[in-house]
Amino acid sequence: MSGQRRYFWPLLIIVAVVQSAALFKIVYDKDHLLKTAREITMPVRPLDPRDVFRGDYVTLGYDISTLNKANLPAAAKLDGLHRGSTAFVTLSPQPAGGWSVSGVSEDFPAQVPASDVVLKGRIKSDWARADGSDKTLNVRYGIETYFVPEGTGRDLESKVREHKIEAIVAVGADGTAAIKGLVVDGERHVDPPLL
Amino acid sequence: MWVPYKTRLTRDLDRWRRNGWLSDDGRDAILADVAQSGGGFSLASALSILASVLFGFAAISFVAAHWEDMPRLWRLLLLLASIWAGYGAAGWLTSRGYALFADAAILFAVGMFGASLMLISQMYHIDGDPFDALLMWWVAALFAGVLLRSNPALALALVLVCVWSFTQAIDRNEVYWPFLIGWGAVSAAFAWQRWRPGLHLSALALTIFVIMLGYQLDGGHDHALVAIIGAIAVAALVGVEKALPDTESLTSPLLPYAVVVTFAGLYALQFLESPTLGTLIGLAALTLVSLLAAISYGLATDNRGMLWLGYIGFSIEILSVYWQTVGSILGTSLFFLIAALIVTALAYMALRIAHRGRPKEIAA
Repeated sequence: MSGQRRYFWPLLIIVAVVQSAALFKIVYDKDHLLKTAREITMPVRPLDPRDVFRGDYVTLGYDISTLNKANLPAAAKLDGLHRGSTAFVTLSPQPAGGWSVSGVSEDFPAQVPASDVVLKGRIKSDWARADGSDKTLNVRYGIETYFVPEGTGRDLESKVREHKIEAIVAVGADGTAAIKGLVVDGERHVDPPLL
Repeated sequence: MWVPYKTRLTRDLDRWRRNGWLSDDGRDAILADVAQSGGGFSLASALSILASVLFGFAAISFVAAHWEDMPRLWRLLLLLASIWAGYGAAGWLTSRGYALFADAAILFAVGMFGASLMLISQMYHIDGDPFDALLMWWVAALFAGVLLRSNPALALALVLVCVWSFTQAIDRNEVYWPFLIGWGAVSAAFAWQRWRPGLHLSALALTIFVIMLGYQLDGGHDHALVAIIGAIAVAALVGVEKALPDTESLTSPLLPYAVVVTFAGLYALQFLESPTLGTLIGLAALTLVSLLAAISYGLATDNRGMLWLGYIGFSIEILSVYWQTVGSILGTSLFFLIAALIVTALAYMALRIAHRGRPKEIAA
């Protein structure tokens, strides 16, 4: 270290600036996504109680977390998808409110109706019968974890189980999704943007 | 083996002086030189590294406990301030000549960078892909380690590369080849720093990665590949050592890792797969002969790591063969006869090597 003592301070500052900039970029990107991206609201599904509460965060499940070929329109292409691969899931608004899956593909769909929204997800597990039928995928979109203040997880957990919670999800143009907040018993809880 | 170098040297110097081979001045000069050039890793620096790890944990749990009371912008500024404080302390300590304490401060700053990543994830409910955070963290640790020439930061980078690859491999249920990129980058930094403990860390990480290949490739049954890679590595290291004797200081510490890989592959082939009896006997003979070669090599080159590895491997192999063959065609008594013959051969070889070694000692 002695040979380069002269440059040590400048090097320290370079490292500190680069690392700070990297952190700032994450915050900026997330903040930007939450502020500008399209917002959709989806009901949160009760999960296996063993999984729901862990430490000080809640694991959220959605209807679109499990994709079953039998329940999907014919346009959904599930065959090329397997554990670890990226999936683009197109959601269409329902007349009665809420969203339903209208397409699944390996690449971002070429044409998306203005009313639809595309979410990027990653396949956590896949399953199919020996003849290839009844294919089922478990998908994570990066909106499955909600951090809560210590000790309040249990309350939220019971609310999730009683179907009283909806998640507000911001969806970017490339399909990136982020949790913006929760609707608890019809009341909106959203953190204001940071920057 | 556990006696520190300086103590051993002092003992030898005293003996050499009594024999009249060395003057009092010579002895003192040698000890002074050792005292000046050594001092690599003192208790104070070890404790300061530990302290910086504890400071990191204290800071994280404090922030986590008061998380909700603090406006979000403050949280971010606090995290950034802790990173800058770490690097600032490193600069101050270096300017006062405490290079080892400066390393601890750098480690603290890199640790706080990781903590910041995690707390930002929490703030934005970023989920699912802690891998991206781990990737960013090891790159940041490597960046700091190279620019500031800090060995502890580089060691942290290697640990993070391993954690990152491991979580990825578990998640994808397949070999995560990008490990080799991270491993190569950090190992190159270790080599550039000429930091020997770092190269051992690298060798250990690669050893585990190669052994795991056997459990991941070909449906988890590619142990033959592991054994072959290990054997090639052994042959390459011995070949390099013979061709370029100057590299002995680098190749001889690496050789035991290659032997471990070979043995792990051969062991899994024999006892985790279900070979026919003929194959098992063949592989067992091959393994035992290889281990005997390792032991004799360890004796010939005074490589203690290799010697112990050979003994331990030999014991494990004998016990496992015994376990596998109890009650089978190969009777227990026959097994013991074979084991006795092998050990007799081992004793004979050891005797030969000892005879060969003795004249050298007298000459010295």
